[in-house]
Amino acid sequence: MGHWQEIEHTADLALHLWADDLPDLFTTAAQGMFAFIVTDSAAAPTRAVPVTLEAQDVETLLIDWLNELLYWADVAGLAFTTFDFTGLTPTRLSATAHGRPITAYAKYIKAATFHNLAVIKTSSGYETEIVFDI
Amino acid sequence: MVQKNDFTRINDYVWELPPTYDGRMRVPARIYGNEDVFEMAFRDQSVEQLMNVAMLPGIVKYAMAMPDMHQGYGFPIGGVAAFRYNEGIISPGGVGYDINCGVRMLASSLDYASIAPYLKDLTATIFRNCPSGVGGKGAVQLSAQDLNAVLEQGAEWALAKGYASRDDLERTESYGQIAGARADAVDARAKERGLPQMGSLGAGNHFLEIDVVDEIYAADIAAAFGLVRDDIVVQIHCGSRGLGHEVCGQYIRVLQDAPRRYGIDIPDRELVAAPVDSREGRDYLAAMAAAANYAFANRQILAHFVRRSFEQVLAGKVRDWNLHQVYDVTHNVAKIEEHSVGGQRMKLVVHRKGATRAFPPRHPDLPAVYRETGQPVLVPGSMGTASYVLVGTETALKDTFGSTCHGAGRMMSRNAALKQMRGEQVRSALNQQGIVVRTDSLKGLAEEAPYAYKDVSLVVDSVVGAGIARLVARVRPVAVIKG
Repeated sequence: MGHWQEIEHTADLALHLWADDLPDLFTTAAQGMFAFIVTDSAAAPTRAVPVTLEAQDVETLLIDWLNELLYWADVAGLAFTTFDFTGLTPTRLSATAHGRPITAYAKYIKAATFHNLAVIKTSSGYETEIVFDI
Repeated sequence: MVQKNDFTRINDYVWELPPTYDGRMRVPARIYGNEDVFEMAFRDQSVEQLMNVAMLPGIVKYAMAMPDMHQGYGFPIGGVAAFRYNEGIISPGGVGYDINCGVRMLASSLDYASIAPYLKDLTATIFRNCPSGVGGKGAVQLSAQDLNAVLEQGAEWALAKGYASRDDLERTESYGQIAGARADAVDARAKERGLPQMGSLGAGNHFLEIDVVDEIYAADIAAAFGLVRDDIVVQIHCGSRGLGHEVCGQYIRVLQDAPRRYGIDIPDRELVAAPVDSREGRDYLAAMAAAANYAFANRQILAHFVRRSFEQVLAGKVRDWNLHQVYDVTHNVAKIEEHSVGGQRMKLVVHRKGATRAFPPRHPDLPAVYRETGQPVLVPGSMGTASYVLVGTETALKDTFGSTCHGAGRMMSRNAALKQMRGEQVRSALNQQGIVVRTDSLKGLAEEAPYAYKDVSLVVDSVVGAGIARLVARVRPVAVIKG
């Protein structure tokens, strides 16, 4: 079961993530991000958005994924809480993101960045750190 | 890990790390600041980030950090770096996601006493007329055709639509329109994000403030800038909103394989770069210029609605509520400029990320109105503290590609700031100082509390000490609107 922890950063938001497998990593990263955007992250989803992505490596795919969800947050005011992955490899993703309208914003995140990004495969799954521009 | 004693003291305000410290560095790294400011740089990862910049190909002279430096992503905030136009690179991460985040100052001929009875009403009216916070719509609705015009014309578009005067444009960096912008270099998603947000402040550290001029240091220059002691000024701090974030993100994404394709060795993936004179480099410069133009138009629209608010509240009550523009500076941008390097004129791409252009008197890029004074530099302090108006110098042009600091510089994480005081307490403390506060986010107010930042006077003392700006005036806030 994935989990995340905030790391101190002078100006922006940095999260350390631990996950069992790739779907868990992508779910945990998105849930960690939205936990900072909305005040009521546990609310039930009411809308579904299909997402299909291709990238050169897992790091790019992960940042693409988070920025895709931030795009939907910005243009449609949606926060995403649960995800169904129909296909997920280190370079391809196809998923349905389940979200609901944001009623109250806690924080605005401009983007997920590539700063010092490396997705590490460990004996128990995956670990990484992501810096978000806020 | 790099330490203070790895640096050499060049003088009381400049510290240098030689490239021999790390074989990958192509030029020295320089930190501007007095000894206290220099020591603060080692509290986070900003020095390592500055060293990474010094490793980029085509960089000339130094990788520099201004005294308000702090940890960012890719470049440190407060970073200045120039690359050869012919053999150098352009890096979207060296500009950041909020392309042309900047500051505009408007000045009135009203003293504080004459608006004091109306200050709360004025603040509430501006808060209503100038949308702020997350998720809201901007003050004006654009058509797709309007947006393309905004992207290519910037503040000129605002002038054509009646939101600006010719004087406003003359008193805006690059006249509010960066050359080479192409609407077709900005993709549909960025436009979709930008369309509803024109004329909005946004959130985070963005703000709109009413201030009083409380100190004049250079009377002749202050007079030329239209700044009079005890008179009211307005500051607007914001950028290119979701459009700029999307442009930056997309080009960083597109360039992820550029290091392999172009053989550009980079120490951090956020610093991906393309040769300036490549298809990707040209496209990014055109898209960045377009996003910068959006930001110039955005601050112009907000200035228009601040003026309208002054009129709505003060007409018939005070003698003259007009606001003239002092200047508008950008502090997140890459610009093509000519500078002297080693005695030779060189065409460069100057990246300023959390740094302000500070051109001296008689620089050809300055408008006639500021040709003899030099360029106004606007340095907002942290919320509730003083802000400064400076002016550019020859030393800045010679030493820092005509650049200086952009603000106080964050010192404390948002979490650490939240642990000090709740938003209500911060608001109450500001109210006790006589400052009117309006915000949709009390938590955001606590994150931006003054103690989260360096003392702006330390930063300003350092740039003045280093000679990369001169003091003109100081202003103190009487009303704050936080996004």
